[in-house]
Amino acid sequence: MYVIVVYDVDVKRVARVHRFLRTHLHWRQNSVFEGEVTRSQLYEIKQTLAELIDGDDSVLIYELPRENFNLHVIGTDRNPTGEII
Amino acid sequence: MKKPYYITRMGVLERRGNTLFFENEEMRKAIPINSTSEVHCFRPVTLTSGAIKLLSEKNVPVHFYNKYGYYRGSYMPIEGQVSGTVVIKQAEHYLNPGKRMYIAKQFVEGIKASMVALLRAHKTDYGAISEVEVEGYTPAELMGVESTLWKEFYGLFASLLKHFEFRERNRNPPRDEVNALISLGNSVLYTVALSEIRKTYLHPAISFLHEPLERRYSLSLDLADVFKPVTVFRVILRLVNRGQIREEHFRDDVGVMLTDEGLRLFISELNSEFSRKVLHPRFRRNVSIRYLMRLEGYSLVRHFLGDSTYRSLRAWW
Repeated sequence: MYVIVVYDVDVKRVARVHRFLRTHLHWRQNSVFEGEVTRSQLYEIKQTLAELIDGDDSVLIYELPRENFNLHVIGTDRNPTGEII
Repeated sequence: MKKPYYITRMGVLERRGNTLFFENEEMRKAIPINSTSEVHCFRPVTLTSGAIKLLSEKNVPVHFYNKYGYYRGSYMPIEGQVSGTVVIKQAEHYLNPGKRMYIAKQFVEGIKASMVALLRAHKTDYGAISEVEVEGYTPAELMGVESTLWKEFYGLFASLLKHFEFRERNRNPPRDEVNALISLGNSVLYTVALSEIRKTYLHPAISFLHEPLERRYSLSLDLADVFKPVTVFRVILRLVNRGQIREEHFRDDVGVMLTDEGLRLFISELNSEFSRKVLHPRFRRNVSIRYLMRLEGYSLVRHFLGDSTYRSLRAWW
């Protein structure tokens, strides 16, 4: 499945959340990650994020069956995803 | 599904913040290690020891190619899937001439079926291919049958190409554009097959149709050949006939090779063909072509253990 993760957490924890998400997903822009994951990966992501965050932090995970959405970019695309580097 | 990553620039792979980073003067890009199946390097890439440790932990192999696109070797993490029983049985099937011939014959039948599948999709007369009898008493004779099949196939394939000339297959280095594409495509297919074989209990060096030569993972050659017509050749036909790959994507050296842009174009199309999903008639669900390679491995394992008889893939898509 394809997921988009959006987070709004306290500055103290931003770096840690960012570092963790980077091991599973593509960084899109500040506080936004996306990528293809397996069901067990999604479970792990949810578990770890729950441990990392605190207070009134908030993380949203959008789950899509496939990467079948249209993306409209206004301004610059900071980090286009792709498997060809 | 985990994805392969293809690196077409010079640079360094290092560990940073618990994931893999590709870096050079122009760019810095994170590779999500937990979502990576393997890394292919087409240009000189340096691996730091931190990167190697991380790759080993996550069981991600890295494959290297030379400038003409030939496979040069891999960094392989310690084997995860080890089963003495399967390897012993696999060797037993190799040592017994009758058993070896059965499997070798299956591979050739699979190659033939894939060729027919591609030609049928392009509404080409495949009579010359289906007339070839897959018969022989030794693996060498079967290799002869295989080369007859390829000879016929190359002729028909050449007539389907709209823009480039393709007279004969040559390699090391390839001497024209189509040969450059075939060589590169075959190398990638071969390493993808190797990556998939390593997920099964099979030993990648014990092969049946090809002779298990030293220092080569010849089982991946056996397996890759079955998929060649429907992946590599299909992608070449598509890119050439749509005019997406043109003269300007190649340059002459000692042989002919792809430019950076041509390489990216070809690799990305090849990769999407490997991850393309087709409806599996028996499973009644969509599986990627890459996964079909692993399924071939699994059915070989079952064949060795005597659970069921191996029948090679008959490409239907």
